[in-house]
Amino acid sequence: MAEPALDIQNIRKSFDGHVAVRDLSLQVPRGTVFGLLGPNGAGKTTTIRMILDIIEPDSGTISVFGQSSIQGRAGNRIGYLPEERGLYKKMQVRRVLKFLAELKGVRGRDADKRIEMWLARLSLTGGDKDWGNARVEELSRGMQQKVQFIGALIHEPELVILDEPFSGLDPMNAQALKDTVVDLRREGRTVVFSTHLMENAERLCDAVCIIAHGDKVLDGTIAAVKAEHGGHYVAIALGQDRPSAVGDIFADRSLVNRIDDSNRTVEVELAPNANAQLLLRKLIDAGATVERFELVQPSLHRIFLDTVGATGVEAGMSGHG
Amino acid sequence: MAKLWAIIKREYLERVRSMWYLLSTALAPIFFGVIIIVPMVISSRTKASPDLSHVVILDATGTQLGIRVAGELAGGITGAPSRAIVRAVAPSELAAAETTATHEVMRANDPMLGYLVLDSATIAGKTERYAGRNASSLIDVKEIEGAVRHSLLAQRLEHEGLQASRIKDLTSVNLEMKSERLSDRGREVGGLANALFSYLIAFLLYMMLMLYGQQILRGVMEEKTSRVAEVVISSVSTDTLLAGKVIGVGAASLTQILVWVISSALVFKGRGIILARFDVVNVPIPIPHIGLGVALLLLTFFVLGFTFYAALFAAMGSTVTNEQDVQQASLPVTLLLVASIVFIQPILLNPTSTFSRVMSWLPFSAPILMPLRMTMVQVSWTELAGTLAGLISGCIVATWIAARIYRVGMLMYGKRPTFREMGRWVRRSA
Repeated sequence: MAEPALDIQNIRKSFDGHVAVRDLSLQVPRGTVFGLLGPNGAGKTTTIRMILDIIEPDSGTISVFGQSSIQGRAGNRIGYLPEERGLYKKMQVRRVLKFLAELKGVRGRDADKRIEMWLARLSLTGGDKDWGNARVEELSRGMQQKVQFIGALIHEPELVILDEPFSGLDPMNAQALKDTVVDLRREGRTVVFSTHLMENAERLCDAVCIIAHGDKVLDGTIAAVKAEHGGHYVAIALGQDRPSAVGDIFADRSLVNRIDDSNRTVEVELAPNANAQLLLRKLIDAGATVERFELVQPSLHRIFLDTVGATGVEAGMSGHG
Repeated sequence: MAKLWAIIKREYLERVRSMWYLLSTALAPIFFGVIIIVPMVISSRTKASPDLSHVVILDATGTQLGIRVAGELAGGITGAPSRAIVRAVAPSELAAAETTATHEVMRANDPMLGYLVLDSATIAGKTERYAGRNASSLIDVKEIEGAVRHSLLAQRLEHEGLQASRIKDLTSVNLEMKSERLSDRGREVGGLANALFSYLIAFLLYMMLMLYGQQILRGVMEEKTSRVAEVVISSVSTDTLLAGKVIGVGAASLTQILVWVISSALVFKGRGIILARFDVVNVPIPIPHIGLGVALLLLTFFVLGFTFYAALFAAMGSTVTNEQDVQQASLPVTLLLVASIVFIQPILLNPTSTFSRVMSWLPFSAPILMPLRMTMVQVSWTELAGTLAGLISGCIVATWIAARIYRVGMLMYGKRPTFREMGRWVRRSA
């Protein structure tokens, strides 16, 4: 079997007595899209910085494509988009990209060619204005993010690490980013991204790892995680006028373990040994209009809430990790 | 190595392309030209020296001394008759006469320059007094003092029975001191010109270290606050980034110095042609001879001094995230630089004193004060070698400490670290 793209074994990192990452191990197979999920302060960014050799772990090993040496660990084979984005404001876009390319060992005409290709692909040239000649500070925030994204991919890295790539993106740019991630996977590259947006993770990732408070809570392929954490879940959509008796049915602990009521849709986790048919019958008997009643696997969002716990999530839903 | 080169190139080109750099590089030679050419043009246009005879002489000596002094002050270069008003006053009326003379000096239209008091103490060869608008002009005061001394001497000689024409011959002595500096290379140009030149070199070094040091500090802060540092550090080590920054900015500053020196030398050499356009006769300006050896030494001191200060400024830049903290963060390093510049004057006055020697040895002040001393006086090779060795050691220690602060500081946000915390960073990553 091929060497995994990323192999982390028992890494630990603490800052002034505070443990940021505790004994974390995970493997990312080549050619997969891997999600690193967790609430704020979970240790995602610290883990990513250790993978990139920006900081060293206190203990444990990290190898990228089988290389574990600290010096220049597969550096040119990794592309990185940090969570907090920024570029040299006074520099011309093409010059910034050329510089970032040179830092990754791409030089001369080769770099120029790739820069032109990417600028066109992300619509920064070809319109009314050639933004490649503009200074970074003249660009809108969205355009600056595109430039930074090009900077992370200009050297055609085999492993792309994106830290909270969707934060601050408008829907257009978010879609462009998703498309690019899908393209990268299609090209056989490995993508690791951290996020707290479960919907994106569920749609894009082949496998995920959820960490909280520096600890790994669970990891595996989406299917495996769902199978492992799958209870009996039912997605129910009810008509506008919901009889009051429905509330009593959902409160019946012999039938329903827990609900996640999103107004139009209610995700119900059935109690152990409870029968979905019985629940359906009770709802109809109570006079509710059942528009949808579907046995489903739990959403990643649900699993995340279950595993990380409410306190971690409250902090995490607002921000970064 | 290729990555280091990429960083050097970026730092160098981005700086050299900036409007500030282009303007200061281009305008400075014009400024140098102006300070060389303009004084020569002005001094040649100013035909007469100010007429010092436009004074009131209060003569309380009871002799003809006042009239003699008036004659002595007459004319200047133009040879115009004396405009001095001589008033013979009794010693008891001197105070009242001085008040009147003060009013004459103070009045609005056609004011007198001042008044001169000659009394018994003057006759005794002790004191004379002058009060005037030009009293702080050393040259004017010397001139008046000379006129009085000359007149008194003439009066005494005449009293001893010498003929007036004979006295003039005997007393017309006009001596000028021409000083030369002696060194291993033999005789060199005058001490004053030499000191001025050395001062200029020391000040230029100070200015460049301060200007570019501050630029590095701001550059580092900008990289940190714009978060671009994180992308760069994911591709190169912080040590490489720091080294590339110091070398790139250092190269930009050296380029600027080189342009300045070469263009100033060209203006200096070609000043005859420029002056001819203003119908001004060129006169030789004495500047000390700087051989290749000394030039290389000056370059070495600049490069080492730059490394020392640039590394420290960069380290301080990595500890701040906003403009308000910049001044405070740069203060310790700035103080080291300022400590060097404040000692320029005592060293100019006595470049061979123990104090001067010790100050020129210390790593933080050596880059400025040793070039100052070595262009003024002969400094032995052993002393130079020792200073250079000390400075190199200082550079190694400074960059070692700076690299460690920089490594941690670049990824730290939030409040500015204390010196104690920075000390911990240095120890921890050692």
